Amino acid sequence: MSEIVNILLAVLYLLVFPGFLFLFFYGLFCEYFDRKLYARMQNRVGPPLFQPFADFVKLLAKEDIIPEKADKGMFSIVPLFAFAGVLTAILYIPIWRTDAVLSFEGDLVVVLFLLTIPSFALFFAGWHSTNLFSQIGAVRTVTQLFGYEIPFFFACLAPALIMGTWSISGILSQTVIRPEVLILLILAFIIAVISLQAKLERVPFDAPEAETEIAGGSLVEYTGRRLAIFRLMFNIKMVICAALITALFLGGPVLFPAVPGPEFIGYLLGFVVFLLKTLFVVFLLTMMRTVFARVRIDQLLKFCYGWLIPLSIVQFLLLILVRSMGWFA
Amino acid sequence: MDLVKWARIKSPWVLHLNTGGCNGCDIEVLAALMPRSDVERFGILLQGSPRHADLIVCQGPITKQMRDRVVRIYEQVPEPKFVMAIGSCACTAGVFQGCYNVLGGIDKAIPVDVYVPGCPPNPAAIVDGVMKLLTKLKES
Repeated sequence: MSEIVNILLAVLYLLVFPGFLFLFFYGLFCEYFDRKLYARMQNRVGPPLFQPFADFVKLLAKEDIIPEKADKGMFSIVPLFAFAGVLTAILYIPIWRTDAVLSFEGDLVVVLFLLTIPSFALFFAGWHSTNLFSQIGAVRTVTQLFGYEIPFFFACLAPALIMGTWSISGILSQTVIRPEVLILLILAFIIAVISLQAKLERVPFDAPEAETEIAGGSLVEYTGRRLAIFRLMFNIKMVICAALITALFLGGPVLFPAVPGPEFIGYLLGFVVFLLKTLFVVFLLTMMRTVFARVRIDQLLKFCYGWLIPLSIVQFLLLILVRSMGWFA
Repeated sequence: MDLVKWARIKSPWVLHLNTGGCNGCDIEVLAALMPRSDVERFGILLQGSPRHADLIVCQGPITKQMRDRVVRIYEQVPEPKFVMAIGSCACTAGVFQGCYNVLGGIDKAIPVDVYVPGCPPNPAAIVDGVMKLLTKLKES
């Protein structure tokens, strides 16, 4: 009996909350939030609330074209592959309490790996479309990957270094015990947000999908429902990356100080706090999108290797010093 | 009204295509896409690739050399697709009518849904053209 309950619970986690259904609506809402904020910062009205949903439904209903010379198998399976990878990552990120649905020592590395899958999916999508524009976009995606991934990993591993655990839930429960440590991680937080912008391929780091020069990059040949899945995947990736940064640097769903009362109220409040904090991260990303203009791919690499990586090494040295002196213990 | 039709009306993505015009209408189309007229409130987004677009916004008369390319780009856009002819040249070939290298208006090569005359038309007129197309779609 309990086995059946466990299986049902797993299906619920995967498909309803915090899995597919929640991420679908929250991802679309984050796209709306991002576009609306962008519009308001340009002093215009912006899209209505249902806009991302209308885009999604319209793309689902459009004609589905596979180019004649494209690799048909890869072309169709790659969006689903990326989508599945991104959806899996949410199970390891705490949403309503300090524990995630699943956790083990080292799940931080698994989440970082799962969040890298979309970049490679984008590469394969572009490469197997056999379109010149998409192939340039694909190569740029991978070139950019080598720029932002190292500082992003460094920044996300900094909390693991100071908290002494490699599990996201473990880091979060350590944060509850000693929240003052988060002050040390401000530099890592800034590096993580900047390299996240490059990871999501948004302005100013959108050289791989520059629509004015290479007509949309890797996704040039994608139409209809495959494009819809790719767009949804990007939205969900943004949500999950924001959730990861929230869990690592902003204390996740934990409200300081803890509220007294029954457990489920704490969970509900934690969930609201989680939503607010992820929206704050999305706000920072939108801010960067509004303020800066696109940089070239070589400028991005120079910025990553010249500034972000040295700064993250400085952050590491600081944390090693703090740990060896026994401060903040 | 069913969901798909509603979604189509609410999210027309635009491809900007110059078929041989003088660049005057291009600038007006870009002006229409700028924050001042804020077409994103109607869900209009500029797309780089014909594969992502629903609405081809054409400017200029069709030159004989451009004809095959225009037809090819039209065929690359997935169904359902719509075409707008922006400016007098796109509607009738305008002052270039009868030139040795000009075929005529956009409708000589591909079917056109909305004509926006003017040399060049005002950005507000272009947005109004899109709205007329969407109204037509709603009533169909």
